[in-house]
Amino acid sequence: MSWTDIGELGAIPIRGSRIVKTNAGCIAIFRTTETEVFATSNKCAHKGGPLSEGIVHDRKITCPLHNWVFSLETGEAQGADVGRIKTYPVKIKNNRLLLDLDAINASAA
Amino acid sequence: MQKLVIIGAGMASGRTLEHIVEASPDAFDITIINAEPRGNYNRIMLSPVLAGERSYEEIITHDDDWYASHNIATRFGKTVTSVDRDRKVVIIANEEVSYDKLIIATGSTPFIIPVPGHDLPGVIGYRDLEDTNAMIDAAAKAEACAVVIGGGLLGLEAAAGLRMRGMEVTVLHNDGHLMNRQLDEAAGYLLQTDLEKRGITVMTNANTQQIAGDGKVEKVVLEDGTEIPANIVLMTAGIRPAASIGQATGIKVGRAIEVDHQMRTSDPDIFAVGECVEFESNIFGLVAPLYDQAKVLANTLLGIEDSFKIRELSTKLKVTGCDLFSAGDFAEGDAREDIVFRDPKRRVYKRLVIENDRLIGAVMYGDTADSNWFFGMIKDGTNIESMRETLIFGPAFQGGSASQMDPLAAVAALPLEAEICGCNGVCKGDITQAIEAGAHTLDDVRAKTKASASCGTCTGLVEQVLAVSLGDRFEVSAEKPVCKCTDLTHEDVRRLIKAQKLKSQPAVWQELAWKTPNGCPSCRPAINYYLLADWPLEYQDDLQSRFVNERNHANIQKDGTYSVVPRMWGGITTADELIAIATAAKRFDATVKVTGGQRIDLLGIKKEDLPLIWSDLNNAGMVSGHAYTKGLRTVKTCVGTDWCRFGTQDSTGLGIKLEKKLWGSWTPHKLKLAVSGCPRNCSEATCKDIGIICVDSGYQISVGGAAGMDLKKTEALVDVATEAEVDEWVTAFVQLYRENGKYLDRIYKWVSKVGLDWIKEELSDPQRRMELFDNFAISQSVYQKDPWADHVSNRANQYEPLADLTMEAVT
Amino acid sequence: MEVMTNPVTKPFIKVAEIWVPENDKLVYAGGDYGSADAFARVSIVQSFSKGEGLPGKAWESRKPVVIKHFDGSYFKRAAAAAEAGLTSAVAIPVFAGNTLKAVLVILCGSDTDQKGAIEIWQGINGNLALADGFFGGATEFEAASKGISFSFGQGLPGAVWAANTPILNRDIARAGTFIRSGHAAAAGFKTGLGLPIPLPDNNPCVVTLLSAPDTPIARRFEIWDARPECVGATRKAMLIDGLCEREGALWAQQNPPVDPPMADTWKGPIGQVLGTGLPYVQREGSGLPAAYESMFALPIYRETDLAYIVACYL
Repeated sequence: MSWTDIGELGAIPIRGSRIVKTNAGCIAIFRTTETEVFATSNKCAHKGGPLSEGIVHDRKITCPLHNWVFSLETGEAQGADVGRIKTYPVKIKNNRLLLDLDAINASAA
Repeated sequence: MQKLVIIGAGMASGRTLEHIVEASPDAFDITIINAEPRGNYNRIMLSPVLAGERSYEEIITHDDDWYASHNIATRFGKTVTSVDRDRKVVIIANEEVSYDKLIIATGSTPFIIPVPGHDLPGVIGYRDLEDTNAMIDAAAKAEACAVVIGGGLLGLEAAAGLRMRGMEVTVLHNDGHLMNRQLDEAAGYLLQTDLEKRGITVMTNANTQQIAGDGKVEKVVLEDGTEIPANIVLMTAGIRPAASIGQATGIKVGRAIEVDHQMRTSDPDIFAVGECVEFESNIFGLVAPLYDQAKVLANTLLGIEDSFKIRELSTKLKVTGCDLFSAGDFAEGDAREDIVFRDPKRRVYKRLVIENDRLIGAVMYGDTADSNWFFGMIKDGTNIESMRETLIFGPAFQGGSASQMDPLAAVAALPLEAEICGCNGVCKGDITQAIEAGAHTLDDVRAKTKASASCGTCTGLVEQVLAVSLGDRFEVSAEKPVCKCTDLTHEDVRRLIKAQKLKSQPAVWQELAWKTPNGCPSCRPAINYYLLADWPLEYQDDLQSRFVNERNHANIQKDGTYSVVPRMWGGITTADELIAIATAAKRFDATVKVTGGQRIDLLGIKKEDLPLIWSDLNNAGMVSGHAYTKGLRTVKTCVGTDWCRFGTQDSTGLGIKLEKKLWGSWTPHKLKLAVSGCPRNCSEATCKDIGIICVDSGYQISVGGAAGMDLKKTEALVDVATEAEVDEWVTAFVQLYRENGKYLDRIYKWVSKVGLDWIKEELSDPQRRMELFDNFAISQSVYQKDPWADHVSNRANQYEPLADLTMEAVT
Repeated sequence: MEVMTNPVTKPFIKVAEIWVPENDKLVYAGGDYGSADAFARVSIVQSFSKGEGLPGKAWESRKPVVIKHFDGSYFKRAAAAAEAGLTSAVAIPVFAGNTLKAVLVILCGSDTDQKGAIEIWQGINGNLALADGFFGGATEFEAASKGISFSFGQGLPGAVWAANTPILNRDIARAGTFIRSGHAAAAGFKTGLGLPIPLPDNNPCVVTLLSAPDTPIARRFEIWDARPECVGATRKAMLIDGLCEREGALWAQQNPPVDPPMADTWKGPIGQVLGTGLPYVQREGSGLPAAYESMFALPIYRETDLAYIVACYL
């Protein structure tokens, strides 16, 4: 585990998202409640749409292009759609966001 | 007998002493030192004392007799100046007290936010009896007003008590909802409304800039400039461990005095207990773990093996009439599931958080009867898999199958005065009366009360009132609900937002018994629109409830890039504007396309370049064309009397005026207008949402056209003589659509639902027309602003990635 | 705590009686008359139709009613009351939704050294104003109270209105507006019991009973919570607050309460209220706390559900 500081929790609006550029592509950080965040690949498993632009609800994200819904916890597509997006470990410490760089680099390799 | 000295006579210290003297009265020769001039009392009950619901005498836990009868020497009202660890001596003003074992139990101090004026007389923390009496004295003055900074447990209890004492009270909270550590938005909303009903003013997202006054507190000023008069300011914005003695003596202090599992500090003869303690990076603010610590410490001192463990915590708000319970961990965790129960009539909200088939968190507002049962399950880690379906109903319902979730709950909860039919002013009581008098079908109710007899939008609601009153004898027609979160239709929700004056999304979720914690992509944008249309000055647009296009003010394309369309008023541009557009196109390597709406589209713009291209276009005097919005798109025109042989009126000028009037406002769906200079109709006005055909005698306004998947000609609305009347009628029509349309219904769909006759009736009444005209202006005062300029100034950084981790690597 | 064997205080309330509707009259359903035997004999055979006498008046006007001068008034038992030294009375109607369940009548004496007050606050123009009351010898306090009103949440009446629960205030001299507080302190008032009285027209109504230490309204007060939100689905009641001359405070020291006293239906005086849904008066007999010989209990409804029970021991 190599936790890297990527920014302040407050920089992401509640039920909103910001992206982080990495060697494994863009990662979207979602803030589902005041104190809860998830990190997934920004690319929709359907046609590569930018998931960070979708609407966040409960612990899911709906892709803005064709409305595929993914669980932010497991990365699995919901409903009748079949597919999966990669999820990454992320945590909050003292109001800062930390991503696990090792997991990202392993993914990029 | 060993000498035991305790610094601090708070609740942790008191409990420790109780355990010790009960187990072994002669084990120690005890001396207790306290800065407060008194012994231990139940500090937690200071709020009821403030409210007058308890007296101080009632909350004393150890009076002078208790200390005397247990041979405990007391030094009350004395502050410890230092501790000499070598000589094992505690030094107070004029005395040295020697110890064999020392316990530090100095508690916490209130955090006073360091704004200018924080040291004025009248600014107090809320910790001890002196603070409480200061508040009671302040309340006894004429026209007393208080400001409470910090809307957590303590601040709210204080506010209720001060209000009871007759003061005007304002609570300032720097977060979006009250008690945000323990409660989520919906429960925070319930708590806030209950407090506001008591005349306590609550301001959320309120940040104090300074406290001002001449020699004493006179007012509090917020960062946004708001001033609130106050003759007492209460700081309940958190507490900090009081660990200064620890630091002075040289024992290990992190955020607080560090202790091990036996409450021992880095000095083997010095212990610490209570809020001044840090254990495995945790500090403490609720009483339950302090009691655990006290037991462990007492055992340790008596030579009994024991070890401190952190356990689950629960909190209950002590404001009479507000039942609130919260326990466990309900904000974080992997793979968790929420079960939510709302009963709007009883103002009840319950939420359970489940992880790995175990209950890990619970919040209950309004009905806390089962709180102990749920808390027990949290503490025990009970496996709830078999009771998942009925869990939320509590212990009395386990094993049964009846679902208590009544789909008609929201309507059943409406008071009799709630207005169901806005057109005819019919309230629920009128309808239930008619039902009792024999009206058992929708038509009967219509005939008797006129409810749903005009525009028909409230039909669904009327049917639900019939269903609630008649039960199985009435069948509600199956109109599609908004989404899976509710059984109500759009029309129902719109009507209820107006009737119940719901002004926030959590209010809608709670009062209309939403089945999910915070909606879904179908209902969130719709509710967001309905709220901003009905309450333009009070509701703040929620960007996180908007589709990407409306959030980023550009159209997303299939490859994740965006299209940017600047406004071209009435289809007229200038050479300079064209040059600016061309320059931007070159700079950002855009594809250039002319649109059907008589303007130019720049395609292929990357998200992070949006603020830059907007800036360039703004500098040339152009604003967003809203090509993506549910609002005014374009007003197409033909050249009219400016140039055309056949032009009867200045269609171009009128089109530009209308576009300048209507742009920026949100509508249920996109709005497209056109103005033609003569009946040859070169700008195709008769297939638009609103079309105007100019004729010699004036202007013919028609509405409800379509030229997309449906093809439909407009229908005549009214003929007028002047441009001013066109402005009046078109604006009023648009506002009527805004206030009544279903989200995602184009005007032609809306017209067919409510009927053109009803629309004509509404708009023909000059008073009603002016009212709509004025309401539109009010909404525009908030919403008519260039989103590009707004985002460039205020949100530019949101278009950038949060971080770039590729910098160090080789690309 | 020490046991008090000879109470020195003189409770304000002398008589408590209950009237229940039967057909179209209010009939006697129990009472405690202390030593006023002659008055008792006259009372138990009475019945009142709507509008008749004090209980009938409360029934007809659908709100609490106070009477301070029996002579020449509509009070039917004026002569007997005068002989018993009773000079004022308040009738509190108990409504469950729109249905009248009972009328509780409390009668007080006129000893001038008795300081106590029973006030009726009603909603006027969105605030609570003093509709009526009697004040023993506290005339300045009475004058001060007539001129003020409380808004929602303010003062004891406002707090009871906002919380919609009975509240026992220990510091009544400093509760509420500046003007009233000064006079309350001068009159020696210390505790105040505030009761929310639900009425069929939904107009807010709060009855307060103010006590001075030597002449309390009653020697022991109890507030029981019978709401399902507190005790669960089966009908019972939990003691949530109280003060007793002998035992001191009656509330649970822990928060949330651990093993608070509970009352089951039909068991003990509170159990009687739970069972019948009516006010209850008891003189002697089992079930009363030690050293108390008489009590009355008032049920407080929310809509048609029994929500709270307030008990006063004389």
